[in-house]
Amino acid sequence: MQPTRVLQALRYRRLRLTTKDVNKGYYKGTGTGSTGRHTKHGGYIIEWDKVRTYVCPPLDGFKLTPFVTKNMSRTYGSYETKLGPKDPATYLARWKSENGLD
Amino acid sequence: MAAAAMRPSMGALGRISTSTPSPLRPLTQTASLSTTAALLKRHKYREARVYRDNSKHRGESAIHRSGTRWRLSMSDEPLPRPVPRDKLPAIETDPDHGLWEFFQNRSMVVNSPPEIAKHGRSWTAEELRHKSWDDLHRLWWVCAKERNRIATANWERNKSGLGFGEAEMRERDNAVRQTMRSIKHVLTERFYTWEDAIKVAEKDPEVDLTGNGPAFTPSNFLEDSDVAATEGEQQAAEATEEAVEKAEPAAAATPESATIPSSQQQTDTPRL
Repeated sequence: MQPTRVLQALRYRRLRLTTKDVNKGYYKGTGTGSTGRHTKHGGYIIEWDKVRTYVCPPLDGFKLTPFVTKNMSRTYGSYETKLGPKDPATYLARWKSENGLD
Repeated sequence: MAAAAMRPSMGALGRISTSTPSPLRPLTQTASLSTTAALLKRHKYREARVYRDNSKHRGESAIHRSGTRWRLSMSDEPLPRPVPRDKLPAIETDPDHGLWEFFQNRSMVVNSPPEIAKHGRSWTAEELRHKSWDDLHRLWWVCAKERNRIATANWERNKSGLGFGEAEMRERDNAVRQTMRSIKHVLTERFYTWEDAIKVAEKDPEVDLTGNGPAFTPSNFLEDSDVAATEGEQQAAEATEEAVEKAEPAAAATPESATIPSSQQQTDTPRL
């Protein structure tokens, strides 16, 4: 969508897109999914297989914290290839050397 | 016609269903009201009207403190007295209740700003690259719990007007959020690399992804030629090991146990 020149001059493009900037049919939402469906009478039926469930893994004996001590400087990787950590060849080689099973 | 014929019987059905007790309702209650004498008492006293008075507050006066005009059924009942607070039994709470995890310190509602500021830096992506999926999953939840603690403390501080500490909390929160971003970054990167590695593996004669037989059949079993073939890969693996070894003594030397990263760096865990 290209706004008119007047709006471009007003830095309209810098503004956040709202439902009032576009024609009908635009659903902005909040990034959350639905948890059920609407009935024709205006009610709402929760479908429990659509409701998100978050399972926390057992944290007993887990020693990591969200923080790292400041005595240790931040570490950054140094990679020989241009892709760095995203290099599939390195990944495959490591898989071969460490696991190679699954 | 059929509907008209049905109508009286339907009405009778309704009457029956209202008169018969519901099977859901327990039949233990025998009286319609409580049988307490005070509630059933009806005072008959002189000057009581025999007809209904539509003016409910007739004769009541706030100036003359007249009270209610009609004596109430419980007027001569002794009122209950509240138990003094020191006589009340102590409230028993579970010392190991899970809700305690929402607080950083059990003895205080909110930590002091210097205490809040005592935290390390966030994890970098490179440090998290050497962690297994399970470690990252659990670290994510540790971060989520820490953010819950921060939010609880913020809420308590606002509610009670305790003053300073917002800036320190924000810094702490930013560090946790940066760690969580790095976890997401590493996992996304790992997934894309895995996808690309499958494409590479399809062309690799040593790898069989069909599921029939072993997935990996080394073409050369000799150690020397293996080293020669995968020299670059070995170097990469050594580089990561060095980084981990560098991390370990630094972590062990820190006095603050809360911010020490785990010394059990899991380099040997599979990343698949």
